[in-house]
Amino acid sequence: MGTVALRSDVHEQIERIGSADIVVGIPSFNNARTIGHVVRAAQAGLAKYFPEHKAVIVNSDGGSTDGTMDVTRNTSLGDLDAILLHHRITSASKIVFPYSGIPGKGSAFRSIFEIASALGAKACAVVDSDLRSITPEWLELLLKPVLTERFDYVSPLYHRHKFDGTITNSIVYPLTRALYGKRIRQPIGGDFGFSGKVAEFYLSQDVWESDVARFGVDIWMTTTAIANGFKVAQSFLGAKIHDPKDPGADLSNMLYQVVSATFGLMETYADIWAPVKGSEAVPSFGFEYTVGLEPLNVDTSRMLKVFREGVRNLGEIWLDVLGPGDFGEIERLGTLDDAEFHFPASLWMRTIYDYALAYHKRTLPIEHLIKSMTPLYVGKTASFILSARDMGQDEAEAEIENLCIEFENGKDYLAAHWT
Amino acid sequence: MEKFLNLVLDPLRELFVKFKAFVPNLLAMLIILLLGFILARVVRLVLLKFLGAINFDSWSDRMGFTKLMRKGDVWNKPSSVVANLIFWLMVIITLLTGLYALQIPAMNQLVASVIGYIPQLFSAVMILGIGYVFSEFVSRTVLIAAANSGFHYAKLLAKAVNTLLIVLILAMVLEQLHIAPTVVLAAFSIVFGGIVIALAIAFGVGGIPAARRMIEREARSADEESQHDKIDPI
Repeated sequence: MGTVALRSDVHEQIERIGSADIVVGIPSFNNARTIGHVVRAAQAGLAKYFPEHKAVIVNSDGGSTDGTMDVTRNTSLGDLDAILLHHRITSASKIVFPYSGIPGKGSAFRSIFEIASALGAKACAVVDSDLRSITPEWLELLLKPVLTERFDYVSPLYHRHKFDGTITNSIVYPLTRALYGKRIRQPIGGDFGFSGKVAEFYLSQDVWESDVARFGVDIWMTTTAIANGFKVAQSFLGAKIHDPKDPGADLSNMLYQVVSATFGLMETYADIWAPVKGSEAVPSFGFEYTVGLEPLNVDTSRMLKVFREGVRNLGEIWLDVLGPGDFGEIERLGTLDDAEFHFPASLWMRTIYDYALAYHKRTLPIEHLIKSMTPLYVGKTASFILSARDMGQDEAEAEIENLCIEFENGKDYLAAHWT
Repeated sequence: MEKFLNLVLDPLRELFVKFKAFVPNLLAMLIILLLGFILARVVRLVLLKFLGAINFDSWSDRMGFTKLMRKGDVWNKPSSVVANLIFWLMVIITLLTGLYALQIPAMNQLVASVIGYIPQLFSAVMILGIGYVFSEFVSRTVLIAAANSGFHYAKLLAKAVNTLLIVLILAMVLEQLHIAPTVVLAAFSIVFGGIVIALAIAFGVGGIPAARRMIEREARSADEESQHDKIDPI
C-alpha cells in the first residue's frame, strides 16, 4: 500500500526525532476541553512507567476549529513533583498535525501508524481525546504487555455502568466472541495498545480508501489482530468516563457504522471464523476493582414505543430478513405491556445472525438494511434495562455472558446459511 | 387482335417487370428477418448468461423490481424478462428494417416515423426504470428514518412520498412520449398543486388542533426525555 501524504513539517519533525521506542497516538476533532487532560496523563504515564524509553506523543487532528491542536502543543505536566516521586523525568516529544485524506478516525489512525513505522516504534498506544477518566496507569497497562510480555495487541477492559455500551454488549461483543473464539470484552473500546509489527501490518492492508478510514476502525483493528493470529490480551483500565457524545448524533447512524463494519469483516474473514467453535479467555492484565458509578434513570417507555412503531411500520422489511417464524415472535413482543416485555436472548441471537446473512446476500441496500434494525436494537436494550434494573453489576454481566453463550451455541445456524 | 393482346399483356409485362424489380427487395427483407431473428436469439442467450454472472436477479430483488413484477403478475426471473424484452425489441427493429428494405414509399414513411420514435421510447423507459428505483429508495429512506424516530404514521408518510414521486415520474414519461403534452402538463399541475393545497388546508386550517396536539406532544416528549439520562451505546 502507498503511504499517506504527511505534511512536510511532520516529516521534518520525524527526521529530527529520528527514532522512538513508544508512540502514543491521540486522534482528535474539536476536543479542546478534554485533550489537555489526556495529553498530561500520557506524558505522566510515559515519564513514570517508561523513563528509559524514548517516546513520542502524536496528535492526529481532523481539522478542529476550537484550538485542540494549540491545547496539545501547550500542555505540559506542570508540577511534576506532585505526580512523580522517584522516577527519572524524560519528556516525550510531540508531533501535532492535521491529518490528510478521507475525514474520519481511521485516517487519523493511519497517520499515527505511519509515524510509528517511520520512527521504528516497538510499542504504540492510541487513546481517545475525549476521555475524562484516563490516568497515567492506562499507558502502563496498554504498553507494558507489548514491551515486556511480547503481546501484539492489547484491548481495554473497563468498568462501565451496566446500561452503557449497549451496542457492544448486545451485538459486537457476543458476535465477535462467537465468530473468532476470543473473549475480548471491549472490542470497540477505542483505547488500544499494539506492537510496531501490528502497526506495520495495519498499514499494509488495502482498506485506507474504504469505509475503515471514516468509521469502524476500532472493530477493524481488533478483528484484524485476532483473525491474523496476533497475540492478543486485555488490560483493566478502570472506569471509562468521557465527554458526552454529540447530542445530535443519530443512534441509527452509530448502529449503522458499527454493525456494517462488523458485518463487513465477516465477509473478509469468513474462512477464519466458520470453523471456530466456542471461545476462550484471553490473558488479562491490571488490577480489577469496583468503581462507583452514578445510577442512570433511563426512559424505557419511549424505547418501547420506538420498538412498537418499528413493528407497525417496518414489518415488511423484518419479515423478509427474519422469516415468518421469528417475525411472528417479534410481532407478539409488540403486543406486550411494558411490564411484561422481554426480548429472549435466543430470538436476539437469530435476529443478529439473520441480519448478518441478509447483509451477506445483499437483500437490501446496506444502509437501509442495518438502519432498519434500530427499533429491534432499541427493543432489546429496553428489555435488558427492564430486567437488569435491580441487578448488581455482576448479575448484569452474567446476563451478557448468557447472551454470548447463546451466540456461540447458535453459530452453526449462521455458518450453515452462509453460502 | 394484336392490339387486344397488347392490352392484356402490357399490364402483365409491367407487373412482371415490377415484380422482377421487387424480388431483390423481398429477398433482402427475408435475409434481414432471418439474420435479425438469429442475432436477437444470440443476444438473448448472451444477455441471460451475462445477467446471471452479475447477479442481476439479486440486484433486482434489492431494488424492488422483482416485487414490482410480481405485483404486475409477472413471475419470470428479472434477468429472463430483460433478455426477452431486448429480444422482442430486436425483433421489432428487424421487422421494421425488413419492411424498409421493401422500398414501398408508404411503408417507408411509417417505418421512419416508428424508428424516429424509438429514442423517445427508450428515454421514457429509462426515466421509468430509474424513477421507480429512485422513488422506492427515497420512500424506504423516509420510512426507516421516520420509524426509527418513533413516528406513528411512518408508513403513511413513506407511501405519500412514493405516490408523489411516481406521479412526477409518470408525468415526465408521458411528456417524453409526447402523449398529449399539454393535457399531461395541466393534469400534473392540477394533481400536484391540488395535493399541496390540500395539505396546506389540512394542516393550516382544518389541522390546527391536530398540529397543536402534535407540537405539544413533541414538546412534552422532549421535556420528559430531558428528565431521563442518556445511555452511551458504544
